Amino acid sequence: MSQKFTKELVHKYALDLLISLTEEENQMVLEEFDIIEENMEKINAIADLKEEEAMTHPFSLENVLLRDDVVEEELPLEDVLLNAKNKTMEEVIVSKVVE
Amino acid sequence: MKSEILSLSNVSKESLLNETKKKVLEHQEKCNSFVTILENASLGEGKESKLSNIPYVLKDNFSTKGILTTGSSNTLKDYIPPYNSTVYQKLLDAGAILVAKSSMDEFGMGGSGITPHTGVVCNPYDTSLIAGGSSCGSAACVCDKVVPFAIGSDTGDSVRKPAAYCGIVGYKPTYGMISRYGLFPFASSLDHVGVLTRSVVDAAIVGNAIKGIDSHDMTTFDSSSIDLEKEIEEPISTRKLFYIKELVRLENYPNASEELKSILSQFHEFIKTLQSQGVLVEEVSLSRELLDVIPSVYTCISCAEATSNLSNLTGILFGEPGVGKNVVEQMIDHRTKGFSPLIKRRLIIGSYVLQKENQEKYFVNAQRVRNRIVSIMKGFFQKYDACILPCASSVAPKIKDVNDKMKRESSILDNHMVIGNFGGFPSITIPSSFINGMPVGINLTAEIMEDAKLLSIAYQCEKLLDFKGGETK
Repeated sequence: MSQKFTKELVHKYALDLLISLTEEENQMVLEEFDIIEENMEKINAIADLKEEEAMTHPFSLENVLLRDDVVEEELPLEDVLLNAKNKTMEEVIVSKVVE
Repeated sequence: MKSEILSLSNVSKESLLNETKKKVLEHQEKCNSFVTILENASLGEGKESKLSNIPYVLKDNFSTKGILTTGSSNTLKDYIPPYNSTVYQKLLDAGAILVAKSSMDEFGMGGSGITPHTGVVCNPYDTSLIAGGSSCGSAACVCDKVVPFAIGSDTGDSVRKPAAYCGIVGYKPTYGMISRYGLFPFASSLDHVGVLTRSVVDAAIVGNAIKGIDSHDMTTFDSSSIDLEKEIEEPISTRKLFYIKELVRLENYPNASEELKSILSQFHEFIKTLQSQGVLVEEVSLSRELLDVIPSVYTCISCAEATSNLSNLTGILFGEPGVGKNVVEQMIDHRTKGFSPLIKRRLIIGSYVLQKENQEKYFVNAQRVRNRIVSIMKGFFQKYDACILPCASSVAPKIKDVNDKMKRESSILDNHMVIGNFGGFPSITIPSSFINGMPVGINLTAEIMEDAKLLSIAYQCEKLLDFKGGETK
């Protein structure tokens, strides 16, 4: 296993995405990281990559879809809040944010 | 032109629906393909169309107002969407009848069908084998003749690979031809809606019904000039096809299994059949170096995009609220308990390649390699009508042999179909033959917007192969 990756580093990567890992999951990620990095390094081995533009979407599409300036029917509030467990009639209730 | 969908127009709609409901329950017992079975599905009131009162199945990542939609994830196990995806709405309008929502690898992240929160989906040909993924339930139920068509989604090869493993047709149109509004996103630059059927004609019929520009999805384009059925009978003799020699020459696989040898031998036999019909088929080269990095490029881009797409799963607006002293702790608790270990590991890869120090060397370079591969393919498409290749290096693997661990090596023949997602190219899998009693398929891919031509070539190949989806041998 590479010394480059540590339990704490994996924990940080996870926490950046608001995820926590069990000890077992953390260990599994650590064991996989050598393979992940090895695979990722194969990408860097490709010659003259800097000449290529980074592709962010499959192809350019000039698609100007300006909507008409009219009021559209929106989803009813009660439907939007249907899946929220903690709510009032019009709002979602969360814990106090400002400490 | 044989269409199972059109042939059903002569069948009593009541008896078709009742028979389908019976098959749904029997198939669920056998393969575990469904998250939700709509026992109260009734004959529709939509307009008269080729799909009127035709029963179908929708993958469980398409939003259906008032109907449970889980993405096969515990984070959304009770989620009921307040609106319809465009695909579902179009099928409602066409009068098609939704009879079940199908299981999938969680949020589409997987290729085996072993990770749905409702359990493994089995292959109808042999229930000890996987159906393939991520559209496992959709593929299995079409293979088992429960419904004539099902809808799936395809980010890597998630419609086309399970179609190959289940011996049916899997069609992924040009990126943006079918709206993704209401489809749970996984990797937005790679996600496509796809169709699973037992014949190419039926794929064309369903594709025509659900395609179209959508103001809710800015990546859709106006495809009104493309008619997938109209040109389907065009002769194949004037077509020019190519295959990538690095993928189909036996000498490139020093430890080839007997199964792989058969797949390659049958592929070359079919090439000879095509040539005997006057089709020009030539081999081209795509460097092994590029073919080898396809899985890494896919992993890098898809995991990075997934980190963003799954960030709204917090347990606040939907899902089971997490426990904690503050909102952040509650979100962490919700996500930690809800995501499976596989999803967490995939997201961590995304987090890793997006770290400031890694972004350029991993994420951006992966996007550059994607561009290079797509540019090379576009060069081939200037000379040829379509690319023809086997779908995979084996038949469907055994469930017991599949796990979700990261692999150091994987066969290049198992990963090439993601090129269709890199470039947004239309791509279709058709069943070609049986090996050891299990189906294998052939994949055809064409230039963007050339879907009608692609389906015409696939239709003619299907006729030459004389193997329709769902057959047994």
